This record gives sequence, C-alpha cells and structure tokens, in this order.
Amino acid sequence: MPEATTPAVELRDVVKRFGDVVAVDHVSLRIAPGEFFALLGPSGSGKTTTLRMIGGFELPTEGEVLIEGEPQGYKPPYQRPVNTVFQNYALFPHMTVAQNIAFGLEMRGVPKEEIRRRVGEMLELVRLSGYERRRPHQLSGGEQQRVALARALINKPKVLLLDEPLGALDLKLRKAMQLELKAIQEQVGITFIYVTHDQEEAITMANRIAVMNRGRVLQVGTPQEVYEQPQTFFVADFIGDTNFVPVQIMQVGAQVEVATAAGTRLTAAWAEPSLRAGAKGVMAVRPERMHLYRPGHGPEGAEWNQVEGIVRQVIYKGLDIRYEVVLAGEYSLQVRMPVGRAEETFQRGEHVVVAWPRAAARVFRSES
Amino acid sequence: MNELLQRKPSLRAWLLLAPSFLWLLVFFIIPLGIIVVYSFLERDLYGGVVWRWTLENYRRVLDPLYFKTFLYSLWIAFLTSFFSLLFGYPLAYYIATRPEKTRNALVLALMIPFWTNFLVRTYAWLTLLRTNTGLINVWLQAWGLIDEPLPLFGNTFAITLGLVYGWMPDMILPIYAALEQLDRSLLEAAEDLYASGWQVFRRVIWPLSLPGVVAGTMLVFIPSLGAFVTPAILGGGKRLMIGNVITNQFLGAHDWPFGSALSVLMMAVMLLATLIYFRTSGEEARRGGLG
Repeated sequence: MPEATTPAVELRDVVKRFGDVVAVDHVSLRIAPGEFFALLGPSGSGKTTTLRMIGGFELPTEGEVLIEGEPQGYKPPYQRPVNTVFQNYALFPHMTVAQNIAFGLEMRGVPKEEIRRRVGEMLELVRLSGYERRRPHQLSGGEQQRVALARALINKPKVLLLDEPLGALDLKLRKAMQLELKAIQEQVGITFIYVTHDQEEAITMANRIAVMNRGRVLQVGTPQEVYEQPQTFFVADFIGDTNFVPVQIMQVGAQVEVATAAGTRLTAAWAEPSLRAGAKGVMAVRPERMHLYRPGHGPEGAEWNQVEGIVRQVIYKGLDIRYEVVLAGEYSLQVRMPVGRAEETFQRGEHVVVAWPRAAARVFRSES
Repeated sequence: MNELLQRKPSLRAWLLLAPSFLWLLVFFIIPLGIIVVYSFLERDLYGGVVWRWTLENYRRVLDPLYFKTFLYSLWIAFLTSFFSLLFGYPLAYYIATRPEKTRNALVLALMIPFWTNFLVRTYAWLTLLRTNTGLINVWLQAWGLIDEPLPLFGNTFAITLGLVYGWMPDMILPIYAALEQLDRSLLEAAEDLYASGWQVFRRVIWPLSLPGVVAGTMLVFIPSLGAFVTPAILGGGKRLMIGNVITNQFLGAHDWPFGSALSVLMMAVMLLATLIYFRTSGEEARRGGLG
C-alpha cells in the first residue's frame, strides 16, 4: 500500500471491551482508497465489532478510527461518510424496492426528481430494473441482497461496510454474487470493507485480507500472501487445507531443520521467529504441494523432504485425486495430485514415497 | 370409526370444531337473534314482550335525548382510545426494548392488576377522586395547594380516567407484541441512512407497529363504548353512557324491546367503526414508506 496517500480508513490501536470481554484487542489497520478489504475470522473473532466501530454503531473503548484521515470520535453512523450492508439485509419490509433505495437520499432532502433518476441508475447497476414496486418479501435472497447494496451505494459513501452480506445465500448463488459484488466494486471504485468467516470468499474477492482471531489481527496481506506465507498456526489452519506434522526443532536460522517423532529429518523454508532449537512445533504443508512417488523413484536433491507411507484412501475429485497416506509415526498426510497418466496414479494399499520441497514447508509453534 | 376419520380429514376438523361452534351457537348467535327480534316487538307492562311488530323502538333511539348519550359514549370511547395509545405506546416500546428477563417481568407486572376485581379497582378510584371526601382533594387542601376542591369526579375526566386505567393493558400488549418482533437492525439501517431519531420512529418503527396499534385501539375502543360500570361509579350518576341506558332498560325500566334496539344500534356502530378503521389503517400501513 502506498504510504503517500491518506488511507480511506485507519484504525489506530483500537480496543473494544464489553464488560470484561475484550472483543477487539489493539487492532491497527490501514485500508487504502478503492481497496476491497476483507476482515476474515471465525465467529467471535471481533471482525463484526471492528466493522461496527468503523460504521459508528459501536464506539471504541480505546484507540481511534479515522476515515479519510479524519478522526471519527463519537460521531453517530449518519454523520460518517460510510454506509453499511447488513448481515440480514435489514430491508424495510413495509416499503417497496424503490422506497428502500431512495430512503437515504430522502432523509437528506435530495429533490424528488434527482432521487428518481438516481434510484433508476442504481437499479440498473444491480440489474433490478422493473422491480421498483416490489416488496422485499417478494424478492429472492439474491435480489434482496442487491437491493441492500443499491440502498447503501446510492448515497455515494467513501467506504462501504459489508457484514457477511452473502451469508444467507446458498452456495451457488453465493459464488455468483461474489463475482458480481467484485465487478460492482471495481465499477464504482468505492472502498469496500467486507466481513466474512468464509476464507474462500475472502480469497476470491479481496485485494487484501486481515485474518482475525480472538479480537486480534494475526496477519494482513494479499490472498496469495496469507495463503502461501501464513505467519501463525491459526492462519495456516484457518485458510485452506493444510497438513500438520508434529516435529521437534533441531536447528533454526537460514535453514530450518526438524525431526518427526519417528526420527525422520525434514527441512523447512521458514520457522516462526520465537522458535528455538529443542522446542516442539508443527510443520505445515499444503496438500497440493506434496507429490507421491513409487518407492525408489523419489526426486533427487537436498531441497526435497521425503517420507514413506501406505495409501489408505483414494478419492477421485475430477480436477484432482486426493490421497490419504499413513506414515510410520501414526499420523497421516493428505495429498492432492492432478489427474494424470496411469503410472502417476496410485492404488489403495500401495507403498509410496511422499515428497515435498523445502520451500513449501513452514514451521509454527503449535497452538496452545 | 377411526378408519372413517383417517379417510375423511374434513370430518375430523368438523368434530374438533363442533364444541366451540355449539357454544357460539347457543350462547352467542341465538341470544343475538333474540335481541334483534325483540328490538322489533312491543313491550308489555311487566317486563315481557308483546308479539306485535313495530319500528317504534328505533324511532325512539333517534330521540335527541338518547342520541346525545350515544354521541357522548363515542366521544368517551375516542378519548379513552386516544389516551391509552398516547400513554401506552411509550410504555410498550420501553418494555419491548428491555432484556428478555426484564421484559417478561414487566409484562407480568402489567397483568397483576387484573387479578383484582374490576369493580373493586373502580371503587378504589372513587375514594381518590370524590369531590369533597376524595383523598386527592383532601390532601391538596390540607397542604394548602388549593382552596376549592378540584372537579375530579362525576365528569368526563373521571370516566375517561377510569376507562384508560382499566383498558390500557389491552392497548399495550398488542403494541408490545408488534414492537418486540421489530428487527433492531432495521433501526440501525435507518440510522445509517441519515434518519434522525424522529424520522426513524415515523418511517420505520411506527408503520411496523401499526398492526399492534390497530388491534390495541379496537380492544380499547369497543369495551369503552359499551362501558357501564365505570360511568355508573365514576360518573356519579350525572354523566351516563349508552351502556348505562341499556342496563337501565333491561333492569330498571323493564323495557326489553327498547334496550334491544339500543344494543343493536350500538353493535352496528361498532361494526361500522371497526370496518372503517381497518380499511383506513390498512391503507396507512400499505403506504407506510411514502413521506
């Protein structure tokens, strides 16, 4: 993120307590103008509370929220240049689609003619032209979602806050809406801050992701960064599928060396900085970075980790084949290989070598 | 038998409905029919009826003396509904926005007065409001705040107060039920969309609570229109409502046909008022969002 521009939204050391419960714990974030920024975390991670503090629905116990460089202090929601798309849409059930979308402009006393024109534009943007007179309960979930989006966007906010907006939709519709939301965001150029517990959704849509757990931001980065270079066990576990192998640290530094319980020596590209030789940890490797070979046919070179095992399960998934391989040390690995030639396909019960490059392996402190 | 019921679900429904249907028939529809028939008959001198058809009873209803009492009753019923709504709505809103435990306790507190007989509660008002010996006037005079007793008794004020006191819970409960279901995020959405506190109320809370307001108003208006205990006690015999006149025709004057005619007319007015009210408030609810 370029430092020269003023962030659209900045959180400075924000804390939110509800009684004894710390919902948000010293969170600092800088979100650039025009960014599609995702707050990702499990329920109770503080992501929604963080969003509500930007919107003005909650006030921080400590710290400061700035929008376009301006401290928001105790400003109520309607004095902030942001609008919100609520989790359950919160459409006014007694108003038509057009009345819902017009509400914000009407409250600000915009002339009727202009309201009519802008409502028309918004309906076109969200592809709901002709739905003006319908009531929310006559719409499908996806249509309600688009009305909620139009109702917020018509006010031309500097920042749009979205609280799990696709949570109520079925999987297929959700996938379609993800792409549509992203397209709309690119079209209008407004900063989106998007709360979700769905890591796939965050990766699909966001320019950057802040992964949250227990009120803290654990990592901020592009989807590729958080997927490929997780900084903590939680992030590695929460995003995507990962194999975790319990290990003992033998050596840290430029090269990380570890040993499994069975005594196999393995190497990794990176270890969490707080780890010292002799400590216990876990090695994390993505299933698609692992390869299977027949015994004696493993890859050459020091950059490869290799362990032997037996195939317990073979699942054909169309795009790839997923193997479960049991190792001597009583644990198993998930391996994902593209569907390929017959000699690269393995059967249940076969002895195999599982190999993965050092670069694909990261070592974390095991979560307490 | 069992098999027959399995095959004919409509028969099963009828059997389930039969007791309440019979009840309504015997204790509501037939007596109502008797009243309607009586209202077209002549009285005899001993409290019975003479089987001769006449419209005389309805002509008497339009006599200014009775008609004024009728209008007065409508006015009282209107005042009672208005003040019950004015005082009841904020209370319903307050209860509906409390945490669940507090909410249930408050609703219970609202119903506790019902455990005491209505007549007793109305007499309790009598001891407070009476002109010369009522506690309020006695105290106010004792403290030297007033010289002359305030006119708290035997007037429209006393009757309306007694009725509002008696029927306000019937206003509060349906409004509370409507407000309790109100999704809090709708209020946040309105606030997010630049609505002031008043606008949030006028454009979101009020229209969405309207079904409760309509139900509550009907529940208060109808019994107030037909009230006879409250005006009899708190009206001090000076102000009568149509309910008192009807009571008097049946119990005092032994003129059942005329009492029946008054009852029929009152029911007709209630029916009409209900229909008009539901029609207009339904439209208001539909228009709701338009400013």
